[in-house]
Parts: sequence; C-alpha cells; structure tokens
Amino acid sequence: MSPGDTKILSARFDRTDGHRLDVYEQDGGYKALRLALTGMKPAEVTAVVKESGLRGRGGAGFPTGVKWGFVPKDAEDVYFFVNADESEPGTFKDRYCLDYDPHMTLEGTIISCYAVGAKLAFIYIRGEFGWLIDRVQKAVDEAYAAGYLGRDILGSGFDLDVIVHKGAGAYICGEETGLINSVEGVKGQPKIKPPFPAVSGFLDKPTIVNNVESVAAVPWILNHGAAAYKAFGTEKSAGTKLWSVSGPVKNPGVYEVPLGIPFREFFNDYLGGMVDGEDLKAVIVGGSSVPVLPADEMMSCNLDYESLSSAGTMLGSGGMIIIPASCDMVELIQVLMHFYYDESCGQCTPCREGTGWLHRIVKKMRRGEGTTGDIDLLEHVCNGMAGLTICPLSDAAVMPMRSFIEKFRPEFEALIKETAPAGPQSRWPRGEQE
Amino acid sequence: MVKLTIDGKEMEFPEGTSLFDACEKARGEALPHFCYHPDLSVAGVCRLCQVEVEGMPKLTIACNTTIRPDMVVHTRSEKVTKAANQILEMHLINHPVDCPICDQAGECGLQDQYMAYGLYDSQVEMASKVNKAKAEVIGPHVVLDQERCVLCSRCVRFCDEITGTGELGIYNRGDRAELGTAPGTELDNNYSLNTVDICPVGALTSRDFRFKKRVWMLKAAESVCPGCATGCNVRVDHEAGRIYRLKPRYNPDVNGSWMCDMGRMTYKDVHQAGRLTEPRISGQTVRWTDLKERLAGLTTAAALKLVVGSPHQTLEELYLLKKLGEGRLCGGLAAADRGDGDDLLLDADRSPNRGGLRILDAAETDGAGLAAMIGQAAGTVLIHGGNPAADAAVAEALAAAGDVIYLGTAENETAAAAAVVLPVAMWAEKPGVFVNKDGRLQEFKQAVARQGNAREDWRLLAEILELRGQDVPGSLKGLREEMTASLELEVDLNRMPGSGFVPGGVNA
Repeated sequence: MSPGDTKILSARFDRTDGHRLDVYEQDGGYKALRLALTGMKPAEVTAVVKESGLRGRGGAGFPTGVKWGFVPKDAEDVYFFVNADESEPGTFKDRYCLDYDPHMTLEGTIISCYAVGAKLAFIYIRGEFGWLIDRVQKAVDEAYAAGYLGRDILGSGFDLDVIVHKGAGAYICGEETGLINSVEGVKGQPKIKPPFPAVSGFLDKPTIVNNVESVAAVPWILNHGAAAYKAFGTEKSAGTKLWSVSGPVKNPGVYEVPLGIPFREFFNDYLGGMVDGEDLKAVIVGGSSVPVLPADEMMSCNLDYESLSSAGTMLGSGGMIIIPASCDMVELIQVLMHFYYDESCGQCTPCREGTGWLHRIVKKMRRGEGTTGDIDLLEHVCNGMAGLTICPLSDAAVMPMRSFIEKFRPEFEALIKETAPAGPQSRWPRGEQE
Repeated sequence: MVKLTIDGKEMEFPEGTSLFDACEKARGEALPHFCYHPDLSVAGVCRLCQVEVEGMPKLTIACNTTIRPDMVVHTRSEKVTKAANQILEMHLINHPVDCPICDQAGECGLQDQYMAYGLYDSQVEMASKVNKAKAEVIGPHVVLDQERCVLCSRCVRFCDEITGTGELGIYNRGDRAELGTAPGTELDNNYSLNTVDICPVGALTSRDFRFKKRVWMLKAAESVCPGCATGCNVRVDHEAGRIYRLKPRYNPDVNGSWMCDMGRMTYKDVHQAGRLTEPRISGQTVRWTDLKERLAGLTTAAALKLVVGSPHQTLEELYLLKKLGEGRLCGGLAAADRGDGDDLLLDADRSPNRGGLRILDAAETDGAGLAAMIGQAAGTVLIHGGNPAADAAVAEALAAAGDVIYLGTAENETAAAAAVVLPVAMWAEKPGVFVNKDGRLQEFKQAVARQGNAREDWRLLAEILELRGQDVPGSLKGLREEMTASLELEVDLNRMPGSGFVPGGVNA
C-alpha cells in the first residue's frame, strides 16, 4: 500500500475551496444527513455506527456507538458536544478536519445529534485555533441558511441548534467533563464520576462528548455502510485513522491509513524515513501521554489498538512524535513533565502535587544535582499518582515518565553524581510501628 | 436494606448509604479523608478514602460510591494502606510543617492522619517547597494560610451550598492553586467561622482564637448557645476559668454542624468589664451573711409584690421565680432582645429561653405596662436578669418604687436603680435548661467558675424561698424531678438527650 490509497476523512483535504458548503454539496455532502433524517430511525443510526466498529479517536478508543447507547431511553434533554479542544502534544489532526472540511464534521454532528436525540450541540474549539473558530462558525452559518440546522431540518421534524464555543486554552478542558464544566461557566476541571456524562453531564442532563475525528467518520459510514468501514482495519480496530506526525522525518504531516498497517511500512513509505543524518531512536506513538517505545520495539508494531497495547503503549490520539538519536531523552521528559505540571487542574492531590514533584526532580537532575535515589524517587512519585485521581491527567504524566526511565535508564543514571550524600536516615525505624 | 461485606464483616445498611459512612460504621473509625463532609456535597478530590472493591480493577474512593448488594470491600488491605500512605505524602510535600506556630496543631487532620497512615520519611527538601502567602486576612473573622491549605474545597462548598454566599473559590491550577476571595471582596457572612471548623488543617484560622491557647490545654463543656432562640448546640472550650471559643456540636434537629459567628462571640460577655461580683445594699458592698436578714424581710410573701424574670434565665430559675411570686411571674419586656434573623440559624429573637417563659405562662409586657405594674406594687419588686430599666418608663417607675432587688450579672441601668443588687451567674457559669423557639428543651453544663462572690441563681432563689419557710429541693436533680412532674414535661429533665458528635478537625 502506498500513500493516498485510503481516503475517508482526508478525501477532500486538498480540494480547492473544500470548506465551502456549495463545494461540499457538489462533492456529495449532506447526502448522509438526508439518508438518516428521511429514512432511518435514530436507533438505526446508532446501530450502524455500533456495527461499524468506530472507536473514539480522542484517545481512549471507546466504541462510539456503545457510548451513544448509554443515553437513557426516556431522556428529554440531551446535549451533544464535539470535542475540538485538540491539545494533546503531538496531535494536529482535528485541526485539518475542521480547516479543510468543516462541513464533514458538521454533517457528522447533525447525524450524531439525531441518533442520540440532542437538540443542542456545542463545538468546543480550543482558543488558540483562532482562524478555525471563524471557519467553523462560517460553516455553521451556511448550514443554517441551507436548512441543515434550525427547525424541522429537511422536513423531518428534527430540530437542532449548534453553538461554536471557544475554549480558553487549558489542556484539561479536552477531558470530556472538564469541557462540560468549561461550557457551564465554572472552573475547567473534570467532574467526579459517576455519574458519567451520558447519564448526567451538561446541566446535569445526558450528554455525549465525541472527538472531531470520530464524528467526521459518521457521514461516510452512513453513505457506505458499516461493512464498508469495517473492511478497513483489523477485527478490533475498524476503519482508518488520521496520524499527525512530527519530528525529523522526511515527510511530517497528517496521514490517513487503515488501522493495522505495520509501523515499518508507514515509516518508510509514507514518512520517507528520517531526514538525512538522523537515526530513529524512539517513537511516542499516540500523543505525549502514552508510553514511549524505542525504535526496535516500534518497528515490530502495527498501527492499531491491540498491537500497540500489547507492545505496552497506546494508540491514543494518533499524535506521533518521532524522536531522533540526537535527542536527549531526559531533556525531552523535562519538557513533557513541565507540560503536565503546568496543565494539571490541581483539584486531585496526587496529580496537583505529583506533577510538580516529578518536574522538580527531573529539572534538578538536569541541573547536574542528581543524587543517588532520584530515579527510585521518580518511580515512587509515579506510584503515588497512577490510577488514583478523578481524570487520567495524572496517568498521562506517569506513563511517559515511567516508560522513559524503563526504556532509557542509562541516560538518567548518567546524570547522577556518585558523590552525593545519601538521603536522611529513617527517624521511624520500621520495627517501632504497629 | 443492602447487605455487603466490609473487612470480612457482613453488614446491612439502608439503600443509598454512602460507602464512606458504611465503612466508618464497620471500622469504628472513619476512613482517612480531608474533603468529605457529611453535610456538604461530595468533591472527591483529596483521594484519601480509597478502598478496594472486589471485581473493580482499580481502587475507588468510598465517598463517591453508593453501597450495592453483595459488595465485598477491603479498607485495610496492603494496596489500600499503601495508597493512603502515598496520597498523604502528596498532601504533605509542600506543607510548611509550621506546627509549632499553627493553631490547628493538636486537632489537625494532617498530624492525626500522618500518625495513623503516614510515618514515612520525608523525601522533600524544605528549600524546594512551593511557597505561598501566609496570614492573609480574608474577612472580619478568618485568616488564611495558603501554604497549609490542602485544597479540599470544604470551605468553598460551605459558602456555595450552605450560606449561598459563594465568597470563596480556588484560583489558578496545579500546585499553584490557591484558595481565595474574588478581588475586592472578603469572606464576610454571619457563618464564616464554620469554614474554620471544617478546615481539616491550619489553613483557615479564627482571628478571635488565633494564638490565644494551645488546643490540647482546653477543656470542653457541652452547652447551648445563648445568642438567640434557635439554641444551637455548642461546645464551650475553656481553661482556668477563661473561655476561649465556642464550637458547634452536631445536632441534626437543631443546627446540624453549624452555628453563627454572632453566637460564637457570646462568650465574650462572660469576661466583659463591669461584671457584678459582690452583693451590695444602697451602693455599699456587703457580705452575703450580712444580707440575709434584710433579704428575709423584703421577700416575705406579704412584702414581695412583683417578680420580673427574663428570657435569659434558665427554666429552673423561672420555675423558682414563679414560686416566689406565688404563681405570678412577669416575663419582662417583650420588645427586648430583638434583631434581624436569617433563613439559616439566626433567629430574630436574641434570647435563649422565651420558650421557657411560655412553659411557665410568664407573660411579657411593654415598658408602660411594666412601669404601671411597678407603680402599683407598693412593696418589694424583684427583678431577675435582663435590663428592664433600659426602658425610660420602667427606669422612672423604679426610681419612684420602694425596695427593688436585682439579681444580675453586669452593671446596667437596672443594677443602678436597685437598692439591693445580688450578683449571679452567667450562662456558662452554671448548669441549666433553655427552651428554644421550637419548644425543644436543651440542657447545658457549667463550663467555668462564677466570678467573685456571685451565687448560682437557682440556689439563691431556693434560699430566699427557704427564708420564707417554703420547702425547696436541696439539689438540682431534686428540683428537676419536681419540675418534670409538676410542669408535666414530656422530657425527664434528669435524662436529657445530649449530642456527642463534635465537628472540627478530621472527625467532621
């Protein structure tokens, strides 16, 4: 397989004026919406999406159709959120979708709202995407004018309003309940679960939050059928995935490939290998929050949920960071630890205190003040953070930290001064405790 | 009822019970925690109350879990203990450990839980700690120390959910997060000191109590607030005859976990200047023994024409006053002790025992009415408590009257107008019963000793009755037994239900 074979989401990325409604319609746009609204019951739409095997593309990989099924059947007010707060370091695929083909996501949004019974949807775009907000707002305005939004859409009796909401630039607002809080006007920090948003979310009503890429795939799935979508990918990883690739490869950028293709093939054929003079050292495959894999381990992986998971990492958001041999791994982890330290919302103690602690230890080591025990201490701090908080930001800091130590331990050890004095003696001899 | 197993014990609880509460019952002590409070919403942010639920892949916090049938829960497994230990360490890494100068020391959640679940060696250098502002005055009653704050958000939720005033918020994020008020505003509501009670650490301290006393020196007496007709259950914290603070005692039927700031300051009246401490006749200090004969002459059934009580006196005192008046007792001035009430606890009636006046049918009157009664008395007038002479008409009538006896606690217009002034005890200096606005009888215990040569009110009244030749029970227990029967009370005054749950610190 070679670049350009598979085009579901990226088919119109190169289309001149592809963001305009008339061009989108010329290309067959809003056909799927017509199909859904005039010929299908909401439950049938959900069934098709469930059948397609589409999994959430924001990072967690939860099956989209199953999530929709969690909305209580008799719910009156349901809300739908499109998560365009794309802020996972290394990830820039949603930006492409919204920039080059905003009506694809909008059509997917309208169909999704029809499926879950939502009459109000928000497209939550991170504040730094200034030009995108205008572009998406323009698409929404065009859709209202053309009758794809508003009252009695396409004569089906279905009503929907869409509000484009601008975030203020906090990573944590990309977490679905943090995003809901942000729109509610309170501090952008995750809500405690349960209840889950599908049962009680925005204004305590059932709320579905889906990533841009997930929603964008819905029109294609309706147009071509679940089986056609499933024909791409593997058994557990259906369809295609957008990968946003950064780092010193010959051809960085956004690529759409079927899930399951070997990384080696992707790296050589699509990315063109490393730029001259650089060797591949490691890859952070799914956005900065997933464990890093050294080149040799990465080379034996396929790009799908199950292969990456069995290799000890995650597909995540598909934000692929290529790390060259010239890169200092401790310097890189310091950058990442600063990010999580800066972005922790601060409500859960292990994350609030742990992210800062990790950052300070790594910084100290890089200043040349590393002492015996610092690596153990980093691992100790990770143990006090992992799996103990409301949202996964704490784990998102721990996963890279742990994997960097595990895979590149000698680089950390090189920073330890052997002459440093040992830590304080125990003032609480274990024997004296109960 | 839902049946579940906690630490190997099979137990049953009503449906909807929080796993936190169930674990507390099963263990006999609460799970480690900072943010959970039974009277506030669940925040789930301190992460300390992690428990292991069989069948669940990760530890889960008990405070946000509702019990389910056949749950098997472990609260003392190695995994749980280790998590609590590590999370506690996170709470403490940026803590300033300034316990020697912290008012919370001795009743601090960090100290107590460190001893119970911590006992690790610190791996953080003092120099690398995050520094924040200390001793910020954030309102008329409360001081904030940012470094000690564990960001449990109890105080924020209190202001959002209980008072609805919303003064507090947590600003900034990560380990730069800080508690604070919005710019230009302060924590100023009549319940602000409750935030100090529920603060599990030394972040919020009371400006009134700060640096006055180490808490472990304090002794506590169960009491009832004398500030208004609500009768909040309180604890009087005192040492060596001095009261240092009032704290609410939990009573779901009266005040829940709370009390108002105004009520908390009522203890200051006990230590005010101008307390009456010595008996006097016509301005001359006398000894009680020298007074006996004069008192006997003035208070014979024939001589004593008018007895005036007040809603500040205990039910026992009002009962004896009514005996002294041979069934007639004036309740004092109806307009006295009034203010603005609110929807939460503070009542417009700023006296603690108008309910007692009602039980004894002691009608209140206005200034003109009381002046007329004094004018018609033609004999001894005995006034116990209150300050009716603050009313000009009453003062004028008293000036013209014959012999006036005043049993009081502080210098005032009435004491100045009386020929015989007898010093008695304030509420914290004696035991007694108040009846609140809902007719609830509530007992309070003596906290501190009486001042100077002041007498315990009921004993003085009993003595006057004895001088008159009337038989009076010689003990408070006997008196209460007689009152329970003769007033046909539904509650046995000798078996009053107390409430033992004391909010504050980690036990709240």
